[in-house]
Amino acid sequence: MSMARFSPFELVLINSRSQVDTATLLLLAWVLVHRQHVSEGQRRRRLAQVTAQFRHGHELGPVMGIAHSQNLQAIQLAAEILRKECSPERSLSVIHQSIAVATDDGELSMANHYILRFLADLLNVTPTTLSTLFYELTGRPFSTPEDPSRHVYWEQHNPDYFTQKAREAAAEQQAREDAEEQARQKAQQREQKKQRKQQEKQRQQEEAQARQENTRQERARKQQRDEQQRRERARGEQAKHDQARRERAQGERRQWQRTSLPPDRTSRALAVLGLPPGASRSDVRIAYRRMAQLHHPDRFYTESEHKVALASARFQRIKNAYDYLMQTY
Amino acid sequence: MRDLYQRLSLSSKASEQEIQHAVTGCQNSALRQDAETVLTVNVHRDTYDTLHHTLSDIGCLRARLGLTHGAHWQGDVANDFSMPPDNAISRHDELVDRVSSAVSLYNRWRRWRGPWLLIAMFATGAGIGIVIGFALRLGLAAG
Repeated sequence: MSMARFSPFELVLINSRSQVDTATLLLLAWVLVHRQHVSEGQRRRRLAQVTAQFRHGHELGPVMGIAHSQNLQAIQLAAEILRKECSPERSLSVIHQSIAVATDDGELSMANHYILRFLADLLNVTPTTLSTLFYELTGRPFSTPEDPSRHVYWEQHNPDYFTQKAREAAAEQQAREDAEEQARQKAQQREQKKQRKQQEKQRQQEEAQARQENTRQERARKQQRDEQQRRERARGEQAKHDQARRERAQGERRQWQRTSLPPDRTSRALAVLGLPPGASRSDVRIAYRRMAQLHHPDRFYTESEHKVALASARFQRIKNAYDYLMQTY
Repeated sequence: MRDLYQRLSLSSKASEQEIQHAVTGCQNSALRQDAETVLTVNVHRDTYDTLHHTLSDIGCLRARLGLTHGAHWQGDVANDFSMPPDNAISRHDELVDRVSSAVSLYNRWRRWRGPWLLIAMFATGAGIGIVIGFALRLGLAAG
């Protein structure tokens, strides 16, 4: 035998004139507590209105308080009393009242979906009866409750959150792309700078070579002049003529070298494929296919080994050029 | 409605770090997406927790009332929120027991004429006190 004190609901029950009515009162208050968008005063008034015919003979306040505290033992006690003492007619009227209390504004909260089903099971009301009753009272079918444990539910009920999340994700993506773009530009600049430096170096080397050449020619010219002075005039004239021609050729060569600058790797690779600078990517691909077919070592298999070796060297050069262009273009 | 805490083997009072850890470690991608949406966003979690609490209560009530196989208790909810029957006895029987024991105590009290008994006990206690007081005074006077 437990020596615990009587709980508030037990005291209310003992004081009540009708235990069934008190138990029903508590369960209806429980349903009302789970109704949303209703003020406390509205709840009390609604409860008083529904239970106007009850014979309990005590205040509603304590019962409402117990329902608010969600006291599981009190609700269990009320459910037991209801099950024990309700006739089938009374059960139907209790379900009727609880549906009315739960859906005055036409909206059944998710918790009340489950509470109504619990009451129906408790009072032996079949699902068809319950849904018929619900339809008659509210004019809407008794649907299955929505499931807030699913992603889809929140996509429907809180789209703001998802649009904001999508926006944030897009912004992040954008930032990442920008960073990548910057990094690539920086790398490109570095590459260009390196190329420019290389070209500079090459040009300097060429200039140095040209200067050496010039001094040598100068010396040769001096010697020739000495010889010229020594030799006959006719021969001297011819020599001068020759030299002038050579000089002209050299000048031409130098000029060509200057105009063909920059002979950077891209244009050299394009030249290997027989293309002018500025050819498009598809041009490169077509040219590569043609060149590869022409210079493939297998074509020279029937001829000599030496030719195969030459062809494979050519093919290798073409392939290197193509690979380089595909990477950079 | 499913019990995501149970499916992620968490308690319903788990902290955000625990939830985050469990969500990232979850193998099932659908469950991971659901848990990420529901449990890691505070607004969603509050709503979910309220309903979770109500459903746990209903599951407990159904277990105690023998309604775990009711016609209205099916699907995910029944799978996740049904509890094993516990040893809690019927509240109504308990109430009846307590009321009857209180009644028997009261009856016994009335049968033994409790108030008179109380007065008699008080009178004897006072008499004994007076006697002891006199004895002490005589002893002091003699000494």
